[in-house]
Amino acid sequence: MDSLFSQLTALGSSLALVCSFMLLWRRSLDSFASAFTIQSIVVSAVTAVVGYFGNDSDLYYVAGLFLLLKAVLIPYVLRRTRRRIGALREDTPYVNTATSLLIGGLLVLLSYVVTRPLVVLSDLPTRSGIPLAMGIVFIGLFVIISRKKALTQIIGFLVLENGIALLAILGTYGIPLIVELGVFLDVLMGFWVMQVFLYQIDQTFDSIDVEQLNMLTEVTIRPADRVSGGGGA
Amino acid sequence: MQDLLFATLAIYVLGMISAIVLRRAAGRAAVAVFAALGSSMGAAAGVSVLVSGREVPLAPALSALHPQVQLQADPLGAVFLVLIGLVAVPAALYGFGYSKSYEGRYSLAALGVVLNALLLFLTLTVTATSPILFLFAWEGMTLAGFAAVLTEHDRQPTIRAATWYVAISHVGFLALVVMFLVLSGGDLSASFADIRTNAESLSPVALGAAFLLALAGFGAKAGIVPLHVWLPMAHPVAPSHISALLSGVVVKVAIYGFMRISLDLAGAGPAWWGGVALGIGAVSAIGGVLYALMQQDLKRLLAFSTVENVGIMLIAAGAAIVFRSYGLDELAILSIVACLYHALAHGVFKALLFLGAGSVLHATGSRDMEMFGGLSKRMPWTSAFFLLGAVAAAALPPLSGFASEWMVFQALLGGARIADPEGGAVMSVAAGALALAGGLAAACFVRAFGITFLGLPRSEESEVAHESPRSMRAGMGLLALGCIALGLLPSVIVPLLARAATGVEGRGAAVPSMQLGLALATPSGLSSFSPFALATMLLVAAAAIGLSIRMLQGPFRTRLSVTWGCGRFGQTSRMQYTATAFAEPLRRVFASVYRPLEDVSVDYHPDSKYFVYRITYASDLRQSFAAYFYHPLLLAVRIVAMRVRRLQSGSVHAYLLYVSLTVLLVLLVARVWH
Amino acid sequence: MTDYLLQLINVALVLAVSPALVGLIRWLKARMQNRRGAPIWQPYFELRKLFGKEVVVSDTASWVFRATPYIVFASTLAVALLVPLVRIPVPVALGSDLIVVVYLLLLGTFFLALAGLDTGSPFGGMGSSREMTVAALAEPTIALAIFSLAVGAGSTDLGRIVAETLNAPTTVAAPGHLLGFAALFIVMLAETGRLPVDNPSTHLELTMIHEAMILEYSGRYLALIEWASGMKLFIFLSLLANLYVPWGIATSNDPAGLAVGLLALLGKVVVLGCAIAALETRLAKLRLFRVPELLSVSFVLALLAVTSSFVVR
Repeated sequence: MDSLFSQLTALGSSLALVCSFMLLWRRSLDSFASAFTIQSIVVSAVTAVVGYFGNDSDLYYVAGLFLLLKAVLIPYVLRRTRRRIGALREDTPYVNTATSLLIGGLLVLLSYVVTRPLVVLSDLPTRSGIPLAMGIVFIGLFVIISRKKALTQIIGFLVLENGIALLAILGTYGIPLIVELGVFLDVLMGFWVMQVFLYQIDQTFDSIDVEQLNMLTEVTIRPADRVSGGGGA
Repeated sequence: MQDLLFATLAIYVLGMISAIVLRRAAGRAAVAVFAALGSSMGAAAGVSVLVSGREVPLAPALSALHPQVQLQADPLGAVFLVLIGLVAVPAALYGFGYSKSYEGRYSLAALGVVLNALLLFLTLTVTATSPILFLFAWEGMTLAGFAAVLTEHDRQPTIRAATWYVAISHVGFLALVVMFLVLSGGDLSASFADIRTNAESLSPVALGAAFLLALAGFGAKAGIVPLHVWLPMAHPVAPSHISALLSGVVVKVAIYGFMRISLDLAGAGPAWWGGVALGIGAVSAIGGVLYALMQQDLKRLLAFSTVENVGIMLIAAGAAIVFRSYGLDELAILSIVACLYHALAHGVFKALLFLGAGSVLHATGSRDMEMFGGLSKRMPWTSAFFLLGAVAAAALPPLSGFASEWMVFQALLGGARIADPEGGAVMSVAAGALALAGGLAAACFVRAFGITFLGLPRSEESEVAHESPRSMRAGMGLLALGCIALGLLPSVIVPLLARAATGVEGRGAAVPSMQLGLALATPSGLSSFSPFALATMLLVAAAAIGLSIRMLQGPFRTRLSVTWGCGRFGQTSRMQYTATAFAEPLRRVFASVYRPLEDVSVDYHPDSKYFVYRITYASDLRQSFAAYFYHPLLLAVRIVAMRVRRLQSGSVHAYLLYVSLTVLLVLLVARVWH
Repeated sequence: MTDYLLQLINVALVLAVSPALVGLIRWLKARMQNRRGAPIWQPYFELRKLFGKEVVVSDTASWVFRATPYIVFASTLAVALLVPLVRIPVPVALGSDLIVVVYLLLLGTFFLALAGLDTGSPFGGMGSSREMTVAALAEPTIALAIFSLAVGAGSTDLGRIVAETLNAPTTVAAPGHLLGFAALFIVMLAETGRLPVDNPSTHLELTMIHEAMILEYSGRYLALIEWASGMKLFIFLSLLANLYVPWGIATSNDPAGLAVGLLALLGKVVVLGCAIAALETRLAKLRLFRVPELLSVSFVLALLAVTSSFVVR
């Protein structure tokens, strides 16, 4: 039974990881939103699986809430925002797509290296998913660093948060429900604040390209000086 | 048998003398005959050592002359003796016809002396048994190579190439001297056997330093990235049969040196040695082939491809070190065998390709691929041989390159058995790098052969190109046979190489069960394949298709017509894809590696910019290594040199003062030392 | 002896069924696009027609152009002889090694690319240049996918990999397995010239890769090449099916088992063919310079497959 359990969690974690790679590969903000939605569904499913095999009925509630918040509510708001801003694409990220993907692969290797002590010591059936969850966290961070549009960065943040949630579920079989609720609330608040900022940026600069923020330093950067995505395209 | 090598050396000396004494055709013939005879006798000695599997002291007559001069062939050295023979015999034969075009322009005597001297020192290098002898032979080899590169000494690129070559070689030489000093505890005349015992008592730090020095010193000669810059300059400017020797053999002797130190003399090293070698090997393999893809000069392309193949050998050697440090001896032996096999295979196909490029140069007077095209109809033999070499170089079955790369792959896949996942991950990434290099090499050789030999001729010279004389064709033919034999018969050759590998391992008779017979199997049953059966299958299938079509559908009805041109008439060679255009997609994909500089200038009509008079497009690749590694280095050297220049006062007294101060200092140091 | 005979029957199977696979995918695509579509056996008629036609050869072309169709067809046939389709193991003396299979297919590509350059046509040059670019960039993914398979089975021998997966059924759902499958599926699309990498049904010069390369071929040469590329597709699909979902494959020469194996193979290949048809209906062709990005996706997937198969080991 344990082997099926670990297979399922590892499978779920891999799927979630592949979803975060979609953020590096696709360009339109809509596809980012759907990748995030799918990832949230998968993470919530993994939570339910852990709840079933770990005999922890609380986790079902967590899974349900998670699904409601991250697979329904936040994607809905994301899509609405996207419609208000217009059809946007992440066409020229700081790091070009092929390189981003390779860096993503390296980050996953790195997360295997950093979580190795944990995985070796642990005897949890869920341990093989831990490095993958860590990889999701790293890729979320990388998306925030390397992408230009504020909305992409928000999705990067949300993916990072998904990674942390997955890590918590796999590493500890879920934290107490009350803590989990607090975290959800935090995420919701953070998301809300970011949305507000996003509207403000859009209103002020008529764009959500965070490169525009460079103008705030009064040193204008001429387009020619920008790091052009190199080759690969 | 023992005196066979003495005879070899004597024949080389005879070859040098005859080059000076005899003139014209007689001189060329004598040089070729002596070089071929000597190297084939050396190869015979090598084969007998491999078959017997024992270390054989060679040329006792020389030892009688001076006790320090001990030559000996163990199975590892013997492999390289065979390689020298495999490449040198055809190259000498080819050189007989090829050097005719040098008559009256350059000194044939010098060329003949250089060829035989190069072979002499190569033979000495792989049979030396003490550092002092090894270094002597090594330096002789470097200088012979230098003279060979300088053959066409009245051209600017030649001089530049030779300067770079000799400079980097000597930095490498310095590293080797220091390395031997560390390993032998300061006694360069100690024998290799003494060094082996001495190395056991050295600290890991000293051994690690020696390993890195060996990697740098031998790597400088082998052309590993970033010490490769001289290689694509120097190898192409030498006469083609010498290029074949430089790329096919001299580079391999550096690999011999590296294996001798890192796998034999320095004892079993820790895993990080192997990791370093693997990493540098992977970078060299990919970097070499990436730059090869962008070259327009055919011989330069081949030289960059040599860098790639050295990378592959280094990957295999590195894997061997890693496996040995984990106690996986079978896999270590497989890796060493793979490395040696690739050395043989690459020696043969690269020599073939260089000779082919030499024939093209001979026929058209150019090395620029953009000038070629359509040569396969004008030079049928050369093009068939070159195609064979290209297929082998692209590591396609059933030729030699595939057999060796298959073994390297199998060795790397064995990395899954390493207990640490990190070790396995490194091996898997190396396998990916090797595959990328292999795929790019296939693209590179489609381009090299396709642009040069197929399509329409792109210049007047290619239009009137002629097939090369018989001796040159014979040289290429021998090497082509070698490519086929090495591709089909690994099962015969591998057990012999395994002896060399176990000799290196120093573990006696632990020869793994490399299956004899037609199939080639890895030890411990990773997998097997049978190149012979494969080749038979291909031939039978092709014949069966041809026959069955003929039987079912009757004889061929073929009509010759012009190439389809979308309704346009008059196909000209300017409409074809050029070498540059062929590589353009890959140049864009790897733009972050190449960092191409592009310059487009458009002359408009003065009145309207919709009418264009002419467009000039120039593009060059930034030599990243030159820009980031060598320029700062040269700048630093120059600054130091400017400082030192102040010592040059021009006063004789000052110079005398320097001399006496130096003498005094040396005496003092010597006093303190003891 | 029976083993070898059965393996030869494999070849006959590939020869016979592969045009139908091509026809099936075309028909399914047509149906999904609300067209009626040609019948599934249309490719057979096309092949017969082409074999009966005279061959027009460019006067620029050399012997390489004439030899290439045979080399391509022979290397594909040799591959068909090496891979396990209906039963395992493949007779030892043939050596059904995955690396050999990959490089044999590359041999065909190599010569096709040369033939593309041989006629001096700008289309041919363009096609070969692009084909070699895609082939070179697909290689590392293939190597890593092979590595991830070899970690489990301890071998690159196809028969042993299949047997290993049969023995441990849960590995089918293992992440390494699924990621490797996804990676190889993408590579399969690239290597067999399907959408989104190449469009098999267009002759528009800006989009085509494979078709540009073989533009100058006609008559029985073209028939050989078309047939060989159909066989390549069939072999790739059956390899994907047998390596990752080997259920049903026969492990002995028992006739009933062989029949089941045959049906299972055809079923799996049809399912994969449907997947291709659906994908080709849904996806637009990628710009040429986004193809490397797609291939780096597959590379990363394969890398993840390798790392996760190390962990579950």
